[in-house]
Amino acid sequence: MQQGAVIRLDGVTKTYQAGAPPALANLSMDVAAGEVAAVMGPSGSGKSTLLNLIAGLDRPTTGTVTVAGRRIDNLSESGLARFRARHVGIIFQFFNLLDDLTVLDNVLLPAQLAGASRRTARARAGELLERMGIERHRDDYPARLSGGQRQRVAIARALVNSPDLLLADEPTGALDTATGLAIGRLLQQLNAGGQTLVLVTHDPALAERYAARTVRLLDGRLAAAEVAA
Amino acid sequence: MSWPGRNWLGPVRTATGGILRHKVQAVAIGLVVLVSTASATLGLALLAASNTPFQHAFGAQDGAHVTVTVNAARAGAAELAATRHLGGVTAAAGPFFSSTVSAQFDDQPYGQFTLAGRGSPAGPVDDVVLNAGHWPDGPGQVVLDGSPGGGGPGLGSTLTVTGVPGTPVLTVVGFGDSITNTADGWVTPGEIARLRAPGAPQSAQVLYRFTHAASYGEVRADVAEVSRALPPGAVTGAASWLAAEHQATGNGAIMEPFVVAFALIGLAMAVLIVGNVVSGAVVAGYQRIGVLKSVGLTPAQVVVAYLSRVGWPALAGCLAGVVAGNVLAIPVLHNSADAYGVGSQQVPWWASVVAPAGMLALVLLAGFGPALRAGRLSAAEAIAAGRAPRTGRGYAAHRFAARLRLPRPAGLGLAAAFARPARTAVALAAIVFGATAVIFAFGLSSSLSRAEASQTHSATIPVRVEPFGPGTGPGQAPSAAQDAAVAATLRAQPGTRHEVAVYGNGVKVPGIAGNVNAQAFGGDAAWTGYGIIAGRWYDAPGEVDVNTAFLDSSGLAVGDTATVNTGTTQVTVRVAGEVFDPDSQPRMYGSTRTLPGIATPANLYEYDVGLRPGVSAGAYVQAVNGALGSRNPWQATAQRHDGKFYSIASGLVGLLAIMIAVAAGLGVLNTVLMTTRDRVHDLGVFKALGMRPGQVLTMVVCWIAGPAVVAAAIAAPAAVALNTATVRAMAGTAHTGIPASFTQVFPPSRLALLSLAAVAIAVAGALLPASWAARARPAVALRAE
Repeated sequence: MQQGAVIRLDGVTKTYQAGAPPALANLSMDVAAGEVAAVMGPSGSGKSTLLNLIAGLDRPTTGTVTVAGRRIDNLSESGLARFRARHVGIIFQFFNLLDDLTVLDNVLLPAQLAGASRRTARARAGELLERMGIERHRDDYPARLSGGQRQRVAIARALVNSPDLLLADEPTGALDTATGLAIGRLLQQLNAGGQTLVLVTHDPALAERYAARTVRLLDGRLAAAEVAA
Repeated sequence: MSWPGRNWLGPVRTATGGILRHKVQAVAIGLVVLVSTASATLGLALLAASNTPFQHAFGAQDGAHVTVTVNAARAGAAELAATRHLGGVTAAAGPFFSSTVSAQFDDQPYGQFTLAGRGSPAGPVDDVVLNAGHWPDGPGQVVLDGSPGGGGPGLGSTLTVTGVPGTPVLTVVGFGDSITNTADGWVTPGEIARLRAPGAPQSAQVLYRFTHAASYGEVRADVAEVSRALPPGAVTGAASWLAAEHQATGNGAIMEPFVVAFALIGLAMAVLIVGNVVSGAVVAGYQRIGVLKSVGLTPAQVVVAYLSRVGWPALAGCLAGVVAGNVLAIPVLHNSADAYGVGSQQVPWWASVVAPAGMLALVLLAGFGPALRAGRLSAAEAIAAGRAPRTGRGYAAHRFAARLRLPRPAGLGLAAAFARPARTAVALAAIVFGATAVIFAFGLSSSLSRAEASQTHSATIPVRVEPFGPGTGPGQAPSAAQDAAVAATLRAQPGTRHEVAVYGNGVKVPGIAGNVNAQAFGGDAAWTGYGIIAGRWYDAPGEVDVNTAFLDSSGLAVGDTATVNTGTTQVTVRVAGEVFDPDSQPRMYGSTRTLPGIATPANLYEYDVGLRPGVSAGAYVQAVNGALGSRNPWQATAQRHDGKFYSIASGLVGLLAIMIAVAAGLGVLNTVLMTTRDRVHDLGVFKALGMRPGQVLTMVVCWIAGPAVVAAAIAAPAAVALNTATVRAMAGTAHTGIPASFTQVFPPSRLALLSLAAVAIAVAGALLPASWAARARPAVALRAE
């Protein structure tokens, strides 16, 4: 186990249906603070399940999950929601922006849910939109943006509460190559600033280019872990 | 559309297997249809019950056209038996020996009863319907006319018969209804002899049905024929069924307006909710239909599959609803029968067929259009339509809500109502109907309470002193000394706040056929609390108040003068006001100075007494009766709560309002449920971003909060208008105007409070799906799309 781990999974098993093979089986792993870890594996290998457990979107059947120094597998739903709001930012493959909210309101939302003051939240959102290069779109609706712009909005939204951990589920999966590269560089910049990042991806190039360590899953088990050059 | 032959229904059955996977929607459809069918069944039963209930009961119970009372000493059994064969007599029952007795209940005078000795409630004429208990099968038992409760005797109570040797005690063993009120109670035939006062003639009743008895003239002719067939003086009295019919029709018709009002609200609700459920289910099911078509279902199979998906839960709801409606109707119709003064009423068989069949047809009709559309869609179109694409609606509302200083979940919820305006409008309409019904029910209950208080004077005249039994004056009337003793006793009681002697007699007023029932008060009577419809209570000699029937009969108006012939003199009076006295007979109220000739000892029929605050009516009555002594015929009685109609009507109003509110809540539940399903992915996103379960609950409840506030603003004035119109319609059927205070039952603060019913219905309906949404795991919600 690493010292100063932001993520620590210990003997985690997740079974969706009794009698069915587990989605994750007795998995143990750590992710250190400031690290970029890529999770790879074929469909059905348990990548999304792992991401959901780390994000507190789901609970393990057995085992413990500790994130940012806090054991989350035994938190209540409210506790998990508070945890997500304060400690985790999530970037989805298909952005999952709320169509009926403007770009600014999408970014503000997690801060508002976490109880941040109006002024602080707006200042932080403005700063992030500028950093993502989409400040001029702040009053637009997501449907009017390109895929790359939407993913930038999603990243800004994920960062608005300055989370300890950024989780990205196929962040370039819905983007063209050039845009995907740009988003990759953006994530790399964030990591350079100390942001811990877990990438779930099918794309070996993305993992190789940006991740310090790649975790490979096969049938819910850790196949191998490797450290990039 | 094609209808292939073999195994055509196989794929349909497979396709509709999804019902079990949409349990909540199926349960929502089933419950709404259940409530709608139950209320429709009840409504139809009530409408049928209010449709000539007397005639139906009269036919079912072989009511007596005429109850002839004979002096049994003058007519022998053979002579009475011979009258059965008179021309025009179609059936006869009796003779039943009878006696009119004075009784006490709880040591208080309880009035006079005509008791008849009958071995059985059944017979060829006047089949008495037992409401409770059993028919007397031994000495000392009595069945009373009516139903138990209302502060009077109940099963097992005892009545002490006064004025006969041994003061026998009768135990109440049952309650029954004679459609023509042939007696106030029934005992075994052998009991009558010991209930007859010494020296009183032996009376018997003979009950007849005639070929021709449709009018008072025909009834008089029938009675005359019976009288001629018996020795002179044998017939001592005859009661016509027409008088009972008149009384029953007056009672029952009053309920019709509000029953109709609730039935219309219920029907509109049912149409609205069912339509909403089915359309929502169609939209939600498009994608599935597209998939089914892509695997080979024909358009006709799609239509049938879709209709059966809503049809099966609806059918279950219809069947359960008709059972529930029948069960609910039992106590309601029991009360209704009491109010109409008929023995019993049942749910007509056709109501149990029409209500569920109509509701099922409504559901299928509402579903057929969308299902047909789905059947005609290409598979690709259906799948695309099933994704319920965003239309851009509600964006501005979200933008506005984001600027409000509201908790963010509340703002998100309030704005969401604008995303699907049609669905929101339906939910709003359901809440409007539900809230209107609730506010209307409270208002109507208040109006009825005021009418009851005004009609029975139970609050203002808690004690009345009336003569029971013979006095020592001429013709066994109370003597002047006995009258004077009453006045002195009442004045001597420290609890007396007001007391006034009341005289009554018929007077003649030109222009009005028949007598006008005049009441003359021997002192100040303004405190008696008659509701003033127009004008004011009389306060000077020469002024009178009258009821609505008087003004209608005479064509006079408040402020006009009338000539009154009191029998001893003729006076001119000015109509100072119109008072609330629901009666088809004209009535007049004035002072003894205004109506001279009425204030004679023979016309003195009661003293009305008002008590000081805190004085118990029971204790006061005991004190007065103790002071008067048992030899004085005047006895004080505490006001019996005689407003049975009002309590029945209020109960019915409450039941109907609750049913409609529940249906409205289910309508809201369904709407919120559909919206929750539409937005399940968004809910997953909200949760992933850190929205807590409590915040989800707030947001989902707020989806419906905006429409609820709008609904409250619509329902409040609607309910006020409905209440005013209904109370006026009820008053119209009771031949009376109403004081303005009867409809002014909604002071602003109360109306504002009652308007919260809209919010309560909305929140109650939204809470269940909101809590489901709050509990849903974010990972599951994110996967749901």
